[in-house]
Amino acid sequence: MKRQIPLIIVITLGFIFVAHTFIPSKTSVDFYDWWVSWSKAISPFAVVLGILSLFMVHGTKIQRKAPNWQYSLVTLAALVFTAFAGFAWGTSEGTPFMWMFKNVQMPMSATMFSLLAFYIASAAYKAFRAKSPQATLLLLAAFIVMLGQVPLGAAISKWIPETSQWILNVPNLAAKRGIATGVGLGSTATALKILLGIERTYLGSD
Amino acid sequence: MTFWEKIQEIDRRWIYLVVLLCIIIPLLIPFNSKTYVTEPTSNLYKKIDSFAGKEDKAMLLSFSHDASTMAELFPMEVSILRHCFERNIKVFTICFSPAAAPLMAYAINVAKEDYENLESGVDYCNFGYKPYGLFLPIVLGMGDDVSEAVDTDTDGRKIKNLEIMKGIRNYDDLNLIVDFAASSAVFSWITYARVRFGANVAAGVTAVMAADNYPYLQSGQLVGMLSGLKGAAEYEKLVDVFAAYEDEQNPDGREFSQEVIKNTWVPIMEKTISYTGDTEMQTDVELPYKFKQARIGMNAQSIAHIMIIIFIIIGNVGYFLSKKNNNEV
Repeated sequence: MKRQIPLIIVITLGFIFVAHTFIPSKTSVDFYDWWVSWSKAISPFAVVLGILSLFMVHGTKIQRKAPNWQYSLVTLAALVFTAFAGFAWGTSEGTPFMWMFKNVQMPMSATMFSLLAFYIASAAYKAFRAKSPQATLLLLAAFIVMLGQVPLGAAISKWIPETSQWILNVPNLAAKRGIATGVGLGSTATALKILLGIERTYLGSD
Repeated sequence: MTFWEKIQEIDRRWIYLVVLLCIIIPLLIPFNSKTYVTEPTSNLYKKIDSFAGKEDKAMLLSFSHDASTMAELFPMEVSILRHCFERNIKVFTICFSPAAAPLMAYAINVAKEDYENLESGVDYCNFGYKPYGLFLPIVLGMGDDVSEAVDTDTDGRKIKNLEIMKGIRNYDDLNLIVDFAASSAVFSWITYARVRFGANVAAGVTAVMAADNYPYLQSGQLVGMLSGLKGAAEYEKLVDVFAAYEDEQNPDGREFSQEVIKNTWVPIMEKTISYTGDTEMQTDVELPYKFKQARIGMNAQSIAHIMIIIFIIIGNVGYFLSKKNNNEV
């Protein structure tokens, strides 16, 4: 029963939503509206679950003084203080919440993302080698696209941004289309397997 | 050990130092550089501009990213909002991620500072943050009735009572969605809003995500795209040259023209806006930093790209010379 009931729910609702999409009628629209109101009610529970889970994971780490437990303390303190600031003073311009967002969250997130530039430069220097004709072709394409993306490329020659655009529009697009077709066929096959009850890994192992 | 072998073994911290200098110096000492406008950017500009002054047409900006990708996406958001405010285009904003909500409020505040008469609920409306669990119900629901699907804005006001909703009911009127993302979030808008309801969808994405979107641009499922900081710089230029342009004949901006954009460049570091065609306009107003930040950032990006190309060349020369020397030995 533990596996059969969830399976029945998934298969039944799966076919109902397929029918709703492909056979529009008043009944299917009414069902859809009913489902929307339910999904609105379910969403807040996910937030509660997330917060509880965060407190349990980090609370345990702090309690056991696990390695780097201090970071867990900072995480929980930040969560409590940010939530308190938001509830107490709101989230509009000029509030402590917005101050923290601009002066803590924004610079910290940007710093983490900007590390990418350092890694890319280092990897380009240490690992990007024209060891084969394919790698050489990739290098040349990378040079043109990199130059085409910046004002200097257009200043050298108008052909650089145009060739860069051609590389993105033709060879890149062909490869992306091939991948997208593969992903599409794979997704359809997986969806059908779930709908027909063949694919059951989402139910867990026991 | 030869020079080239030493170069091969260089400590990566020296590379990091060069990267740091190549990025920081152009940001601290900005210089003028020309911006080449690509077709996906001009297509999006033209689409947005076609809504100018229309009561029964509006656009929706969806913020699907967090602060980490602000450097690339924030200038696009400010530029598009500035375009809407300059040309009297109704604009709505929404996000399905809590991390994007303050960004959205910040972008609106930054863009509207220079427009005294703008009013929330009349000229623009921020739907605010909606939980991701409601993404599908809202996106599909807006195909029938926007005010029913979204219900309230960020200030808790009933959407249907707002003045901005006059003439706006569903995707026939809220006819353009621009999704700003560092992920493939725009595909959901294409799948549900575009395919099912025929809404126009466009993307503002980080440069690394841009390549994924080209199939949708070619098929027409995306009406336009801003890719990375370059896309933002192009849009900033278009807004300067057309939407924010003012003269006696065109007090509220002017229509897009391929010819004008080809022959025009806007220096970002001087008070004078020059036109290389027949006309030249002088202005005493210096462009605020917020309206030229992408173009200043592009200077740093130019230098960084050149630096990476030089690194690759040096790395390869070193590799082949070392290999040759080893073979000779």
